[in-house]
Amino acid sequence: MLIVALIGAVLYWPLMLAANVGPAGRTLASGAELDCRTALACASQLRNPVVPAPAQLAQGFARLSTPVTSPLALPYNVGVTAGETLLGLVLATVTGLGLALLLVASRSFERATLPWLVASQTVPVVAIAPMLAVLLGQYGVQGFLPKAIIAAYIAFFPIAIGMSRGLRSADALHVDLMRTYHASGVQTFRLLRFPASLPYLFTALKVSVTAALVGSIVAEISTISFSGLGKMLAENSRASDTVALWVIMGYGALLGVTLVALVNALERWVTPWSRR
Amino acid sequence: MGDPVEQTMTPARPPARTAAARPGAALLTAAALLVGVGGLLLVCLTLPAPGEGTAPDARAWLTGILALLAVGALGVRGAAQGMSRAARVAPPLLTGLLAVLAAEGLLRAYAVPAGLIPTPTRVLAALWNARTVLLQDTYTTFVLEALLGFLAGTVLGLALALLVVRFRFLERGLLPYAALFSSIPIVALAPVIVKAIGLDWPSKTVVVAVTVLFPVVVGAVRGLQSASPLHLDLMHTYAAAPTRTFLDVRVPTALPFVFGALKVASTLALISAIVAEFFGTNGHGLGFRIQIEVGRFGLDVVWAAIVLASIAGIAFFSLVSAAETRFLPRRS
Repeated sequence: MLIVALIGAVLYWPLMLAANVGPAGRTLASGAELDCRTALACASQLRNPVVPAPAQLAQGFARLSTPVTSPLALPYNVGVTAGETLLGLVLATVTGLGLALLLVASRSFERATLPWLVASQTVPVVAIAPMLAVLLGQYGVQGFLPKAIIAAYIAFFPIAIGMSRGLRSADALHVDLMRTYHASGVQTFRLLRFPASLPYLFTALKVSVTAALVGSIVAEISTISFSGLGKMLAENSRASDTVALWVIMGYGALLGVTLVALVNALERWVTPWSRR
Repeated sequence: MGDPVEQTMTPARPPARTAAARPGAALLTAAALLVGVGGLLLVCLTLPAPGEGTAPDARAWLTGILALLAVGALGVRGAAQGMSRAARVAPPLLTGLLAVLAAEGLLRAYAVPAGLIPTPTRVLAALWNARTVLLQDTYTTFVLEALLGFLAGTVLGLALALLVVRFRFLERGLLPYAALFSSIPIVALAPVIVKAIGLDWPSKTVVVAVTVLFPVVVGAVRGLQSASPLHLDLMHTYAAAPTRTFLDVRVPTALPFVFGALKVASTLALISAIVAEFFGTNGHGLGFRIQIEVGRFGLDVVWAAIVLASIAGIAFFSLVSAAETRFLPRRS
């Protein structure tokens, strides 16, 4: 893995040059004021490079990351997006668990709604985000919550499906054993079905957390928001600040990986018996 | 997402009493459905559309609609009994019908302005009025961006997976990155690619291809490696050629995994195409239309675009599912 990273790092410079030479040549031909002569020399100094040079990337990183506590800097905005995502994930888990219980409890409910739940996922849910944001805004739901709700809307489905599968996954032998002990339905649920469903829940959570992150970023893009990764993406995309876009992308990637790692840590903590 | 759905849809349950065995229950179900659907339809017809006529007393209508909905739900519950094909197909359709009618009734009862939530009839009207533009948008988003990107990403992903399985050093080096990349929010990638390639549709196609790539690689590699060692040994003792082994053992075991990944990717593809359009287009595409019309508070057109997007999404998903049933070897 390290070697591939090394190869990638070595290849980065020529790839960057190759990607930028064309635009650089065009900029030169247009007679722009640049302190370089050949297209190749300009490739690493474009104002809006296709792929930024390492120096530009470092510069952009420093520019966007400091001062650390400023509302305009990225760390703060990453925190906002992370908060929205986590709140969305909590909402999604609650809804997903409720739905899973209903799906497991009643077959008529399952038959009547499951096709629609599936359809709601093949629907590009992000298409609903801008509209949902306007709608919630009209009823006075503003700030953190609408983004979290949109994130939850995108993330609830894997949890509902994973959990309803998990609740049915209890060993039939164990269920029989509980019956011979004359355990009540609640006891069976608490002692057997729920623990059995936990591995499924965490697998679903890992899928959901990335979905929720996408949801909150999209929500930030498509609503009037004053902070967050999505707002910065939209702003810098409008301003055509490519270097900033790359830096934001890096932060987004970092946040995604961190959130998945967080869920992994939680899983290890909650279900220590499933550790291999 | 794809695989678990199917498993939950066919749970192992004891066969229930069929409706035919209890004619009284069937009659009751039919009556409840008739009352629910017919009542809601009547409510929708008697109430004026928002903005026309005087605003009715919402509270009384609300209780009426909820009561009719409850009766309808009872009917749906009755219709869902039994194992027949009708008991599988009818309930979701009836639920959809009831939900749409209830939404129409509630929106009319509360006289919600169309700029906030348009009634389903208005959405239908918008769908018809803007059909040429919307169909063009759907063509751009679905065919040019999602479908082409999906194909490119799948082909590339499968090729990459074959390389990874063939060369072990790639597996250690590349695979962790593929898993890492799939936990990265695609939306962060979209503006960079759109800025780099341009506003025309190819940039969105590339975004879709990149999004599709990682699930396909991870799924295909896992599938190709899940061939049972016993079968591989058997092929070895038969002195089968490596290509033979590959085609007869590895590919069949890999296919379920690949199709699972493709199903996930099919929904991802449409989503990323629409999101990528939020970052700039030359005026085509469903994502662009949604973005623009939300800004103009033309929410009936937005809903119409969403309806088309969902139809495209469902069609895409069922296309992949149909390919799965066609190509997957039948098991148990």
